[in-house]
Amino acid sequence: MNRLAIRNLVQSKRVVLISVGGVTLALLLMLTLDAIFTGVERQITAYVDFSGADIWVSQESVRNLHMTTSSLPAGVAERVGEVGGVAEAVPILYLSNMIVTGEDRHLAYVIGLPPDASMGGPWRLAEGRPLSGSGQAIIDRSVAEGSGTSVGDEVEILGRALEVVGLAEGTASLVNSVAFIAAEDFAQLRGGGEAVSFVLVRVAVGAETASEVAARIETEVEGVTALPRAEFAAEERRVVRDMSTDVVTIMNLVGFLIGLAVMALSVYVATLSRRSEFGVLKALGAKTSDLNRVVILQSLLSVGIGFVLAAALTFALSMIIPSLSANLTLRLSAASLLKVAAASVVIAGAAALMPVRQIARLDPAMVFRGK
Amino acid sequence: MSSSTLEVTHVTRRYGAGATEVVAVRDVSMTVAPGEIVLIMGPSGSGKTTLLSMLGALLRPSGGTISLNGTPISELPEGRLPEVRLHKFGFVFQDFNLLSSLSALENVAIVAQLAGAGPRRARERARDLLIEFGLGDRLAFLPEKLSGGEKQRVAIARALVNEPPLILADEPTANLDSKIGHEIMRLLRRVAKEQGRSVVIVSHDQRIKEIADRVLWLEDGQFKEMVTMAEDPVCKMAVEREKAADRLEHAGVTYYFCSRGCRKEFEADPARYLLPERTLQGASV
Repeated sequence: MNRLAIRNLVQSKRVVLISVGGVTLALLLMLTLDAIFTGVERQITAYVDFSGADIWVSQESVRNLHMTTSSLPAGVAERVGEVGGVAEAVPILYLSNMIVTGEDRHLAYVIGLPPDASMGGPWRLAEGRPLSGSGQAIIDRSVAEGSGTSVGDEVEILGRALEVVGLAEGTASLVNSVAFIAAEDFAQLRGGGEAVSFVLVRVAVGAETASEVAARIETEVEGVTALPRAEFAAEERRVVRDMSTDVVTIMNLVGFLIGLAVMALSVYVATLSRRSEFGVLKALGAKTSDLNRVVILQSLLSVGIGFVLAAALTFALSMIIPSLSANLTLRLSAASLLKVAAASVVIAGAAALMPVRQIARLDPAMVFRGK
Repeated sequence: MSSSTLEVTHVTRRYGAGATEVVAVRDVSMTVAPGEIVLIMGPSGSGKTTLLSMLGALLRPSGGTISLNGTPISELPEGRLPEVRLHKFGFVFQDFNLLSSLSALENVAIVAQLAGAGPRRARERARDLLIEFGLGDRLAFLPEKLSGGEKQRVAIARALVNEPPLILADEPTANLDSKIGHEIMRLLRRVAKEQGRSVVIVSHDQRIKEIADRVLWLEDGQFKEMVTMAEDPVCKMAVEREKAADRLEHAGVTYYFCSRGCRKEFEADPARYLLPERTLQGASV
């Protein structure tokens, strides 16, 4: 019967093309959307991941960057630096604001860096040089290219014109980018004050783990939350995920329903077109369960082929898209593949339900009535 | 294959109820002995198809019993009927009803597999049958690439692959030209006489009388007339016993002739034509 299922599929090329094509597109929608969000999640924590810090120290209860404000007293970096196991502590300023280039406005994490900061700066410069003093800025290369800005041009950040001295690589995501300016300018533009936003900590080589040092910082320095980098990044991703879950769920549901509708229709049509042959088999002695197996296998094969094609296409897109748009990264995760594979099995099963009922009602005596 | 006798006892089939009730088959009884070829003829709407469906365990009678070797198959639960159909009946259809996506070999083998044969064994059996039927060079052909006669031979091979004791054929020659129709008739006769299987044929084709042992006329759901066929031992023509031009008792056997000439030839040298009588006695309407 397995052979019959495969042969029926191979013979009904048009039906297969429609069903596999439809399912592929629906699953592609689900997989691509997941890959985009996984990519965005990774991109959104790029600054945290590449900051060079082992521990992020913030105002108490602040556990991520996105949509938060953290304010720590000026002397906190010094106190953190004195905690055992800390090799270095660098205070940075942070604000979510706009980079204004002519008429264009680009959302950015603006980072204020102290002179010669060993952490928290751009990790890869595509062009230009590091910050060397006041009135300078480093912006993301893709933001600069998008707005026709070059090294030496001026951009407006926090309401002040700053000279672009460098273009950073890998600091933009679909949502925003990171801009670096001098902490001096940052503090001045914010209206003065000695407060810092975060303290980036490097753990001494051979000392305890980042978690142990972070716990000690929280114990010894009052009013701070200290998180190992991985944990801080995970918190950041969680916030972004929480904000986008509904959209992803709805789009996944749309993909699922499209896939289900296409499959249900095509399996139904395929079964209907072979109704008389199923009747013949029933008359010859095939059990309803034998025939159901054919229908379910056909459905599973169509969806399986669709799933493999969708996964391959998503993988291809994840290779191609970043070269077309630096701000968009697609990342195909194992969790997403598992989720969509499970959805595919459900689609295949549900799509076969109606034809299975149809077969159960098939009267084998129809073969002698020429129906 | 074990020989089986099919017994139909006072079988009735009604459709609908009350004012809309139609009786398609009315109190029909018949017996089909092993190796016997029974041809059921009758006008359209006479109940032939309904009767054939009931004989093949595809339709339950409203009354009466259909038994195969004493087992009342008409009373078996629905769940057991597929198995009975697989092992006890071989079906041959007017439109061949081959599965369009499978090759000739696969069309035959799939039925053997349904009956529990392993894929290799099923294919071997299918191949042997198709080669026996002269289709050795058509094994991998899809039905659309086969002629009508070839399709019907594949269908007969499919009907035989599980070695059923009974073959039920619905208008097996209707879609075939005269020459191919004869070929199929000869094949069905071979199946009955060499393999001892019973063959029940429903047809409008008068030519099939030539191979039938008995012809039953169904009209308004009832058998009206019975014709018992015999073969002229001289010219080998099929003759109706009741309308034979002549007959002769020889060594305790009755021989039927299409003409006096044939009888004279037989009388001159009986040993030359001596054949056992192939018609079967005792069938009743």
